[in-house]
Amino acid sequence: MSEPDTPKIETTVQGTGTSETADSIADRGRTVIESRNLSVHYGDEQALQDVSMKVPRRQVTAIIGPSGCGKSTFLRCINRMNDLVDSAVVEGELLLEGTNVYDDDIDPVALRRQIGMVFQHPNPFPKSIYDNVAYGLRIQGITDKMDERVQTALERAALWDEVKDQLQKSALDLSGGQQQRLCIARAIAVDPDVLLMDEPASALDPIATSKIEDLIEELAEEYTVIIVTHNMQQAARISDKTAVFLTGGNLVEFDDTESIFENPESERVEDYITGKFG
Amino acid sequence: MGTENETTEDLRRTDGIDLAQLRGGLFEASLVFATVVGIFALAVLFGYIAFDAFQPLTASARWYLLYFGTLVAPTAAYTLYVRRRPAARDVNAKAFGVFFGSLMLALVTYIVASALDPKDVFVYAIFGAVPPTLVFLYARISDDRTYTGPLVPVSIVGGLAAGGALFDVVRPIVGIAQEWVAYFGFVTLPVAGILGLVVARRYAAKSTAEVGVADDDWRTVMGRQAKYRGGLAFGAVVGSTLVVVVAALVNGIDPAFWVVIFSGFVVPVAYVVGQTVLDDADGRIGVAGPFVVVGGVLVGAIIERQFAIQGLESFLTPNLLLNSWDGLNASNAGVYPQIVGSIVIVAFMALLAFPVGIGAAIYLEEYAPASGWGGRLATLLEVNISNLAGVPSVVYGLLGLALFRNALGFGTGIVFSAAGTLGLLILPIVVVSTQEALRSVPDSLRQASFGMGASRWQTLRNVVLPEAVPGTLTGTILALARAIGETAPLVIIAVATTRYTPPEGLFSAATALPLQIFAARSSAHAEFRHGVVPAAAVVLLVLMLLMNATAIVIRNRYERRS
Amino acid sequence: MSNEPGDRKRSLQRNGFVVRKERFYGRLIAATAVLTILVTVGIILALSGRALTFWSAVSPIAFFTGTEWSPIINETYGVLPLLSGTLIVTVGSALIALPIGLGAAIYLSEYASNRARGVLKPALEILAGVPTVIYGYMALVYVTPLIDGVLPFSAQLVPPGVPVLPEFTFVMPSLRTFNALSASIVVGIMIIPMVSSISEDALSAVPDSLREAGYGLGSTKFDVSTKIVVPSATSGIVASYVLAISRAIGETMAVVMAMGMSPQMPYFPNVLRNLAESSQTMTAAMVQIASADSLGGVTYEAMFALGMTLFGITLIMNVLAELVRRRFRETYQ
Repeated sequence: MSEPDTPKIETTVQGTGTSETADSIADRGRTVIESRNLSVHYGDEQALQDVSMKVPRRQVTAIIGPSGCGKSTFLRCINRMNDLVDSAVVEGELLLEGTNVYDDDIDPVALRRQIGMVFQHPNPFPKSIYDNVAYGLRIQGITDKMDERVQTALERAALWDEVKDQLQKSALDLSGGQQQRLCIARAIAVDPDVLLMDEPASALDPIATSKIEDLIEELAEEYTVIIVTHNMQQAARISDKTAVFLTGGNLVEFDDTESIFENPESERVEDYITGKFG
Repeated sequence: MGTENETTEDLRRTDGIDLAQLRGGLFEASLVFATVVGIFALAVLFGYIAFDAFQPLTASARWYLLYFGTLVAPTAAYTLYVRRRPAARDVNAKAFGVFFGSLMLALVTYIVASALDPKDVFVYAIFGAVPPTLVFLYARISDDRTYTGPLVPVSIVGGLAAGGALFDVVRPIVGIAQEWVAYFGFVTLPVAGILGLVVARRYAAKSTAEVGVADDDWRTVMGRQAKYRGGLAFGAVVGSTLVVVVAALVNGIDPAFWVVIFSGFVVPVAYVVGQTVLDDADGRIGVAGPFVVVGGVLVGAIIERQFAIQGLESFLTPNLLLNSWDGLNASNAGVYPQIVGSIVIVAFMALLAFPVGIGAAIYLEEYAPASGWGGRLATLLEVNISNLAGVPSVVYGLLGLALFRNALGFGTGIVFSAAGTLGLLILPIVVVSTQEALRSVPDSLRQASFGMGASRWQTLRNVVLPEAVPGTLTGTILALARAIGETAPLVIIAVATTRYTPPEGLFSAATALPLQIFAARSSAHAEFRHGVVPAAAVVLLVLMLLMNATAIVIRNRYERRS
Repeated sequence: MSNEPGDRKRSLQRNGFVVRKERFYGRLIAATAVLTILVTVGIILALSGRALTFWSAVSPIAFFTGTEWSPIINETYGVLPLLSGTLIVTVGSALIALPIGLGAAIYLSEYASNRARGVLKPALEILAGVPTVIYGYMALVYVTPLIDGVLPFSAQLVPPGVPVLPEFTFVMPSLRTFNALSASIVVGIMIIPMVSSISEDALSAVPDSLREAGYGLGSTKFDVSTKIVVPSATSGIVASYVLAISRAIGETMAVVMAMGMSPQMPYFPNVLRNLAESSQTMTAAMVQIASADSLGGVTYEAMFALGMTLFGITLIMNVLAELVRRRFRETYQ
C-alpha cells in the first residue's frame, strides 16, 4: 500500500510505439490547463500581468518572448514552484482540469507529483542512472515493477539504448545531452499528465538540441508539453500552439504556431518575430 | 626619430640594481618568513616535547640502524613505488583508513564499554536496537512506508526508556553470562549484520550492472542470490568470532578483549583486503601499506628483544598508557584513567551536542524563511550563534557550573556536567560547519527534487543530506578534536585533576587528560617535568593530530570527487 | 487516470497525516534551532545572577577601580591588576600575531602557488588546533628557559654626551619562572591562524579586475598587493584583528601555566619589566577561585563578576568585528 495521499498511477506498460484510441483522439485538443487573470509579483516587481490562456491536451505549446517577460514565472505557476520563493504573490486562478491549483486545500506536493518539470541546466542527482529515474517512483511509494517502469521511461526519453547496460553508473558521468534526457526520463517515469520544460535545450550543443527537439515531438503523443524557449525557430519547428509574452509579463498573443509566425495579429509580436527587438 | 629611440630605451630592463625589484624581493621574502615563522616555532617546541618524551639519545646507533632497515627503508620504498600508480594510491589510502580507523574504533569501544560495565551497555544496546530493527522488517514486509519514517526514532527512544525501566529486572539475567557474551552482543552481531548487508548490496549492484535490468532493486526485492551471500557473510563473522572465543577459553585467556578486536578490527580489515585483492587488479598492491608499517615495527621489536639491542628509554611506555598516576615514581606513572575519561566525556558530549547542532543548521538552511518574522528570527539565531562562537571557554565553564551544579543539582565535576558543558562550547562550531556543508549542495538539486513532488523532508533525506555528509563529518570531527583539548571549562566546573580510577558511569566523577597535564606542570622532579608530562602531552597531541588528519582527508577526498 | 474533475481535485488535496508528519518534522527541527538561543539566555542568566549579588556586596566602583586583587587572603576585589595583566598579554600577543598573520595572509593570497598554499594553509591551521594546555606547558618548561639564556640583556642605545637626546639604555631583565613574555609569545603563535585565515579570505575576495587594473597601469606586484588589494580588504583584516584580540583576551590555560597567578599593577616607566614578571589575567583569576575549593561566599561570586566583565568585553569586540565587516563590505562592490 502506498502513501494514502498519492493517486494510484496505473502505468500502461507498453513498448515504445503508442497507438491512439478513438477516445484519446477526441481527447486531444481539449483544454487541460487554463489560467484566468493570473498575475504574479515579487515584492514591487510585477512579473506576470493578467494572463489568461488555455493550454490544450497532448500538444506542444511553446511560450516565447524576450528575457525577463515572465515566461518562466508562468511555467512555474503551473506546478506552484513559485511557492518556494518567499516574496512571490500570486493572484488569479490556474485550473488543472477544472480545479484551481491555488485553492487553500490543494497540496502543492501532490500537485507536483502529477506534473513533471525539466529545467534549463540538466540537474541529475548524484546517484546512479537507475536511482535517478526511480527517484520519483520511490518518493511516491510506488515499488512494484520498478525495473519495467525505469526501462519504459528511459525508452520514451530515447536514452535506453545508450545506457541499458550501465544503469548503475553515476548519472554525472553522462554528457550534457544525455543528462538532460535522463532528467526527462526522470520526469516522465511517474507518468505525469503535463510536462513543463523551461528552455530544456538552451544549455546544449546543436546535435543534442536536435535530439531533444525530436524527443519532444514524440513525447507530445503521450503527454501535454509546455515548453518555454527563447529560440523562435525552435518554437516554430516543434510546437502546435505558441504564446508570446512581452515586457511586463503580458501575454500579447496566443494562437496556432503557424498563425503566429506567418500572420501575427499584433504589431509588437510581428516586430519581435522579425527581430526588430528582443 | 630621437623620441622613438628614447621610448624603446625605456622599455628595456636597466643594468645594475633596480630598486623596485629589490624592494619587491625583500617584501616577498618577508612574507614567506611571516608565513613560516609560526610553523617553525611550533615545530621547534614540538621538537622539545618529543625529545623529552622519547629521549632519543638513550638509544644505541644499532637500534636506529635496525629500525631504519625494518621500518623506514621498506616504507619509503613502498611509498615511492605506490606514488606512481594512482589506483594503488587510492587503495592504499583506503587501506590505511580502514586499518587504523577500525583499530581505533575497536579500542575506543572496548575502553569505554569496559569502563562503564559491558553488561549495562549490552542491556541498553538490546533495548535500543531491537525495536527499530523490527520496524525496518515490518516496513520491508508490509510495504507501508507512511508510518515507518517517524516510527524509527520513536522506537529507539521508547526502547531505551523501556530499557531504563526494566533495567533492574533484566540486568541480573544478563549478569549470569560471561563478559564476552555482552561484547559479542553489541559488537560482533552489529558488525556481522553490517557486513552481511554490505556484501548483499554489492552483489546486487554488480549483478544489475552485468545483466542489465535484472534481478534487483535491492531495496525492494533483494535478489535471492544477494540475500544468500549476505547471510553467508553474517554467518562467517559470527562463526569465526566464536572460534576465537573457544581458542581463548581453551588457552585460559579472557576472550572479552579479543572478541572486540577480532570483530571490530580484524574482520573489517580482512573484508576490505580480501575484496580488494579479488576485485581490483590494478590497485591491489595498495593494501600492503599498513602491513608494511606495522610489520616493520613488529619485526624490529622482535629482533630488538632477541639481540638485546639498547632501545629508547622513552617515557611513552605501556605503563603510561595503562597505569594510573603515581606522583613519586616516574616510570610507574600512567594516565589511563584520564584517557578513558577524556574519551567518555567526548563521546557523551557528541551524543548531546550533535543532534541539536545539526538540527539547528538544517533549520537555518532549509526551513527558515528568508523574510518576514520568521526571517528575522533566523537572522537573530545566526547572529546569536556567531557571537557564541567568540565567547571565551571559561564563561562556558561558568554556565556549566550554574546549570549543572546549581540549577540541576548534580555533583561537582561529573561526566554528565563535563559532557554538557563541552557540548555547549562546541555547539556553534557544529552549527556553522553543518550550515556550510548544506550550503555547498547546489540549489538545482533541490529544485529538481521539489519539481518531482518530493516534500521538504523527502528532499532533505534523499538528496541534500547525503550530499552534505562529508562536510558535516569534517566539521564534527574538528569539533571533537577541539573538545578533547579543552581544559578551562572543566577546571571551572571543578573536575578533579588527579583521579586514580576511570569514570564508571554518567554520574561519577570525571577525569580528563589535559587536566592531568595542567596539574603536573610544576612538578618538582625533573623526570616528571621533562619526561612523564611531555609523554602525556604527546598522547594528547597524537589524538588531536589523528582527528585533524582524518577530517582533512575526508574533506579532500570529497572535494576532489565533485 | 480518471478525468472526472472531482477525482482530480481529490487527488490533489492535502492528506491529513502526511501534513501533520511534515509539520512535526519542521517543528522538531525548529526546536533545535531555538535551543541555541537558550544557550545565550542561559549564559546571561547564569552570570548576571551571581555577578549582581557580588556587586551588591562589593561596590562596583571598588571593583573597577581598585588596585589590589587578593580575594582569598585580604578579601580585596580590585580588578585593575587583572585588567592590566590581560592587557599586557593581549598587547604582547597582538604585536606578534597581527603583523605575522597579515604577512602570511598576503603571501598565501597573492604570491603562493597552489601547491604551496595546499601545504601551508593546513600547516597554519595546526597552530590553532594545539590544545592550550600544551602551549602553556611548552611556554613554562621550554620557552622561558630558552629566552632566559640570553637574559639579562642591556644595550645602550643612546650613550651619554649625545646632544639633545637623553641617555637611554634598553634593559631587559632576566625572566621569572612565571612571566608575561612567554605567555605572550605562545598566545601570539596560537592566534596567528585566526588573523591569517580571515584576512586571507578577505584578500582573496577582492575581485581580480582590481588587480588587473593595477597591472594594466604598470604597477609592480608589490604595488598591487600593498596599495590596491590590502586597502580593499581592510574591513576583513580589521575584523580578523578584532576577533584575534578577543580570543587572546579570553585565553585561559596558556596564561595560567606560563604567567602564573600573582596579580600586580604594571610597572612604569620600566615597561619591559612587566614582561619579565608574573602577573594574573582575569581568566587566570577565575581559574584560581574555581580550584581553591571555596564553594560559596563572596569570593565564589567574584568569579561570576569576572566572567560577566569578560563576557561583556568579548561580546562588544565580536559585535564590533561584525559591524566593521558589514559596513565596509558594501563599499567596493
